Amino acid sequence: MKSKLTYQVLLLALTLGLTHQSAGQDKGTMLIKNGTVLTITKGTLENTDVLIRDGKISQVGKGLKAPSGAKEIDATGLFVMPGIIDAHSHIGLESINEGTSQVTAEVWQGDAIDPLQMSIYRALAGGCTTSHAMHGSANSIGGQCQTIKHRYGTFLPEELIMQGAPRTIKFALGENPTNHGTRDGLLPQTRMGVEFVIREAFSQAKAYMAEWDKYNKNKTAKGFRGAPPEYSYRLETLGEILKGNIIIHCHSYRADEIYMMLNVCKDFGIKKIVFQHVNEGFKVAPELAAYGAMASVFADWWAYKFEVYYSTAYNATILVRNGVTTSINSDSPDLIRHLYHEAGKTQKYGGLSDDEALSLITINPAKQLGIESRVGSIEVGKEGDITIFKNHPLSIYGVPQYSIVDGIVRFDREKDPADMRLLPDPKAEIDVTLHGQYDEGHDNCLQDVEYLFNDLVGLKN
Amino acid sequence: MRSMLAYSFRICFVLAALVAALPASAQDLAPVSDTYAITGATIVPAPGQKIENGTVLVQNGLITGVGKNISIPADAIIIKADSMFVYAGFIDGYSHVGVNPDNSEKKEKVKYPGNPPPGRAGITPQADVRDFINPTDASIAALRAQGFTVSQIVPHGNMLPGQAAVVLLKGEKADQVTISGNTALYSELSGTPGVYPSTIMGVMAKWRELYRQAAQTKNYQALYASNPTGLERPETDRTLEAFYPVIDRRQSVLFKSEKVLEIQHALTLKTDLGLQVILGDLKEGWPIINKIKNSGAKVLLSLDLPAEMKKEDNAEKKSDERKALDKRKADAIASSTSQAAQFAKAGIVFGFSANTVKPADVRPNLMRMIASGLSEETALAALTTTPAQMLGLSNRLGTVENGKIANLIISDAPYFNKKSKIKYVLVEGTLFSVEDRPKADTGKKADVKGSWSYQTETPQGKGDGKLVIKNENGNYSGTITNSFSGKETEVKDLVVSGNNMSFNYTIDVGGNSLKVDVAVTISGDTLEGSMTAGQYGTFPLNGTRDPK
Repeated sequence: MKSKLTYQVLLLALTLGLTHQSAGQDKGTMLIKNGTVLTITKGTLENTDVLIRDGKISQVGKGLKAPSGAKEIDATGLFVMPGIIDAHSHIGLESINEGTSQVTAEVWQGDAIDPLQMSIYRALAGGCTTSHAMHGSANSIGGQCQTIKHRYGTFLPEELIMQGAPRTIKFALGENPTNHGTRDGLLPQTRMGVEFVIREAFSQAKAYMAEWDKYNKNKTAKGFRGAPPEYSYRLETLGEILKGNIIIHCHSYRADEIYMMLNVCKDFGIKKIVFQHVNEGFKVAPELAAYGAMASVFADWWAYKFEVYYSTAYNATILVRNGVTTSINSDSPDLIRHLYHEAGKTQKYGGLSDDEALSLITINPAKQLGIESRVGSIEVGKEGDITIFKNHPLSIYGVPQYSIVDGIVRFDREKDPADMRLLPDPKAEIDVTLHGQYDEGHDNCLQDVEYLFNDLVGLKN
Repeated sequence: MRSMLAYSFRICFVLAALVAALPASAQDLAPVSDTYAITGATIVPAPGQKIENGTVLVQNGLITGVGKNISIPADAIIIKADSMFVYAGFIDGYSHVGVNPDNSEKKEKVKYPGNPPPGRAGITPQADVRDFINPTDASIAALRAQGFTVSQIVPHGNMLPGQAAVVLLKGEKADQVTISGNTALYSELSGTPGVYPSTIMGVMAKWRELYRQAAQTKNYQALYASNPTGLERPETDRTLEAFYPVIDRRQSVLFKSEKVLEIQHALTLKTDLGLQVILGDLKEGWPIINKIKNSGAKVLLSLDLPAEMKKEDNAEKKSDERKALDKRKADAIASSTSQAAQFAKAGIVFGFSANTVKPADVRPNLMRMIASGLSEETALAALTTTPAQMLGLSNRLGTVENGKIANLIISDAPYFNKKSKIKYVLVEGTLFSVEDRPKADTGKKADVKGSWSYQTETPQGKGDGKLVIKNENGNYSGTITNSFSGKETEVKDLVVSGNNMSFNYTIDVGGNSLKVDVAVTISGDTLEGSMTAGQYGTFPLNGTRDPK
């Protein structure tokens, strides 16, 4: 028996070229004709076609022919760019902070993906096809994050996960973790405390790995008898950071603590680190560049707490000019819908070129997430994640028309249904088109730990 | 004697007099015989089978004869069931029926929220539900009146409340009514507010860690047991030892799995750890049928359904937007209602769970499922033979067969007929008559006075508190507390109308005041409804009256 709703979702899916249930990892074939192609890495190509075959860009050139039956989009007069990537977001997540302990390296946002959140579709409507679903900043070492592709239309969390993307983890410095520690009367209550918590965690992980190495070595010896070290998911995960298998994404504002974190990384031999927010990054830009650390910043958002007052809209440009791989992120379900505006601000403040400005929301965040060989530019062999704009994306008149993921149209401005909910609540008294709390929120770095600040009756926020 | 007259033409007078005086508790008289003969009935021994005008003989709690030519012993109490129908007693795949909450070690503040005692964090896999059973709880009689004779019951709690047991819905003591203990390890994938793990991702990580630690400890204990000489003595750890039967694949994990994401979290753990999994009380399984089927997990569908939409008078005057929203909601209700039919069509064998259904809704909801495509035979199987099989108790439960436990339902018409009523339920040979429910007394107000304990569930976890209502000559007033702030707040605008009560109260959220609206329905000593906290949403709320 085919239910009415299944039928409706199917219809809706068909209009978008999706298929219900197995929508997630589907790959499409399509031809985008005659657009102005902003490749980001290989210049701008006028009147050029892009052919996507089975989800990957197979040809970029003129006069390309679509395979029979493949979808064609006439991009004459339109701008074709790689799908926008947000290196700092919390959309599509059921929970954001396991803030109960100062170190929770073992928790993973991949376990809390919520594919039903409409914020994913709204991000697509802003041209954003990939985001970094991050743990919050309540604790010094938070949970592991997950890079997701915005394949809206599936009920299966695993289909949003960008399989093969490197593991990443959230760290946090400054006021968020110290406020938390102060309230509970525990570590850390100061910036020194944050450094101690991180150093201690790494030291424990080192000792843990050494114990296991010793045990594993002894175990093979003839006649060995002994107990294995106690398994710890947390220390094992921290060990993976030390081995270079997990990229640190570190919430930070002040130059002194950014420099402190660089020293911690140096001491423990950690090379892969991206600083998030990093409002005072402009003060330590040469140091960041020398270390190979990257920076993901806001265009012009600050003064929302004490440590975020010393800021400048020239931050991104200064970092770029010093050779730091820099991106502009949203950290917000609102900003994620117009990251192209945010990138455009760097032309007003600092005069970055079109390619430099667009790199901030495409190839650079891809590098920070370790996925630059797969997405972030329009090149043959890369994944078919494309956004098509009416007017140049850096123009104030730029409007996304299509968002394409793996060669499948996930947003089409012409066919944008009024109600994109995947699963209306059959028990809801009042029907609303919102889904989940995050859609309604703003800065969600501290979601799930509001109970630390409020005593909200019956809500446990 | 009024109800007796109504059906004395069907049941011999002696029996009816006896039934009217059936023991409700121990101090009442026991029946004069343990032998019952149900005669002249249409017997449905198993789904799809039928014996017309047959007899079921029950002796000492067992079925000792089923068929047409059964000789009836002289001491048998005869139930003349001409024109009536006999079915095997229903089996509830999973619920908390008759289970007291464990209030020990729950609310105290912990020094290190990141490393709380396991019990404080909802981790008590070694706890046994049999320690929390109250067989005389009113909820047991209410479920039994709907034809249920057996439940797999689980303890209350968060991440790992403890061990399930299969019990008969009667009796006075846990051991008396237990058919089988440690039938499953029960888990709810919800965190405990304020301590680790507090979120779904924390719970998932903790689950994996506990399981792997248990596997490691188990291996080492085996090594030690085989030859302890020269080996450090392993400490015993009852939390980890509770996982051993799960690791050995001798025990399944029963997950509360109502929502579409909740189901998938359980399946993730199934894949990651190779668990045997039972998905409990599925409500939103229908969008992911293929995934559930491919997982091979066992399935218990919820008997709870969203209410049908009310017909509105001015439907045609509604805006197009309103109509479109209503249509989507109606479609979602239709999909929920046809879930069982969709699962059957996909070839998934399922039982039912009564965990969240109001007992009085069981039959109406089954009728709605059947109206949307579920066959009566599959519905009956899901209430009897399938759960018996899932619980490994097919040789004792699920059919009307010689030698099985005498769990029986006697209804005055085929059970799935619209107007049929269950008249008697036998639980292991104990006869219970089912009284007609008194008609709702319109105009009469529910008794709301007194102290109530309530629970609520928000997207991120559970809360609870006390509600105290005073009634001074029809003027209601009251206070409400909650587990998060511990503060007591006055309630306002308290209105009682029939069985419905509504009120609101105001709380402080970071300096702003937030109004919380509560609307509940009272039935006897329970209340059920919802609380709406402004933009934060609406959450279910239920509670029970505190004993005086």
